[in-house]
Amino acid sequence: MKLTFRVNGHTEHLELEGNETLLDVLRDDLSLTGTKEGCREGECGACTVLVNGRAIDSCIYAAMAAHDAEIETVEGLAQNGKLNSLQTAFAELGGVQCGFCTPGFLMMLTALLNKYPNPDREQVRDALSGNICRCTGYTQIEEAVARYLEQGTGE
Amino acid sequence: MSHKPRRFISVSSKQEALSQLNAHGEELQVLAGGTDLMVQLQQSGQRAQGLLHIENLPGLRDIAGNGETSIGALCTHRQVVESSLLDDYRSLRQAAAQVGGWQTQMVGTIGGNICNASPAADTLPPLLVHDARITLSSQARGTRVVALEKFLLGRRRTDRRHDELVSGITLDKPLQRSSDIYIKVGRRSATEVAIVGLAARVALDEHHRFVEDVRLAICSVGPVPKRLHELENLIKDEEISEGLLDEAGNMLLKQIEPIDDVRASKKYRSLVAPRILRQAISCCVNNVPG
Repeated sequence: MKLTFRVNGHTEHLELEGNETLLDVLRDDLSLTGTKEGCREGECGACTVLVNGRAIDSCIYAAMAAHDAEIETVEGLAQNGKLNSLQTAFAELGGVQCGFCTPGFLMMLTALLNKYPNPDREQVRDALSGNICRCTGYTQIEEAVARYLEQGTGE
Repeated sequence: MSHKPRRFISVSSKQEALSQLNAHGEELQVLAGGTDLMVQLQQSGQRAQGLLHIENLPGLRDIAGNGETSIGALCTHRQVVESSLLDDYRSLRQAAAQVGGWQTQMVGTIGGNICNASPAADTLPPLLVHDARITLSSQARGTRVVALEKFLLGRRRTDRRHDELVSGITLDKPLQRSSDIYIKVGRRSATEVAIVGLAARVALDEHHRFVEDVRLAICSVGPVPKRLHELENLIKDEEISEGLLDEAGNMLLKQIEPIDDVRASKKYRSLVAPRILRQAISCCVNNVPG
């Protein structure tokens, strides 16, 4: 079966069997290994990507369901080799420890900030409730979001 | 993972969906957001013979509130949480806000939650409390409406026939002088499957003294979420007292079939269920407006 979609602005054409998850297609067929596989049951958020702007767990999303869709992964955040301001805030505030959960947190926050540019602390925590960090660096992640919001959204 | 190709059919109109279901319904599993079905398919190793992808069907995503409230089957949990048209159904919004994380809520649908009929489906107790009616369509027989309580047949079993598509849900208009709530017990506050979930709506008489009407439904303590009619009959027309709540708690234990599983023990469920019943009724009584 043919899958055509746009990933980080590039149109991709793939031949699939039909039962692949979006996560496997991103990692194995497109070598976009920034998106991580954690629980593979939609609980941990490590595999979060955006499908038409909505943050979803790609480990439980059928790749074929993304036909004609616009996909954004963590690889699409940095521009010209330069981290965006949310990523920079994560790096500066220690929001990254082992780094495995980071792509998922960044993509969930990207979806949240696209919809609500000035979320309060409760909204941020609520939106991140489906992202698990086993280094338990949640406080630093919240601080990184606060820093990002203080600085405004100027890239 | 098996590499035998699986059929994946994406439809873009309701007519097309009904036509596919009419021709191949027995071999197709209906896929909306997939947040439940995809987990089942991957974990069980079972392969659907075909997936009918309906997520992009137009016209099944609206919420309309004018007297009765109707919710399109493809409304996502996030839409339910954020819709001001559902202000009078607080319990439903509370339940939808507790279905997984935002990633699940953004694509998981209310119709999917109903059709999967999980014993722990969060949205089912509040829908039962509001006498939800399910609208189903088929090419051969047209449209029929069935009460959710009758639609849920057992653990992950419903009255949906292979050629039918659930198109929407209709809710009763909320009772006067009433308040509703959904209380969920889980091991953590987010992204957790309910150990016990309970929805209640209590209406008081004009003197705010006696219970004029009460509706209760519970999940995760039996094969399928269910209404608690015997308890409702016990409490209706009575004045809420400690004694009555004790009696209701004891009666509840006779109505449920809690089991030991990975999330909690039967003993814990039996301890916590009467407590959230008491908490739910008390909260409703205290929150009745006026």
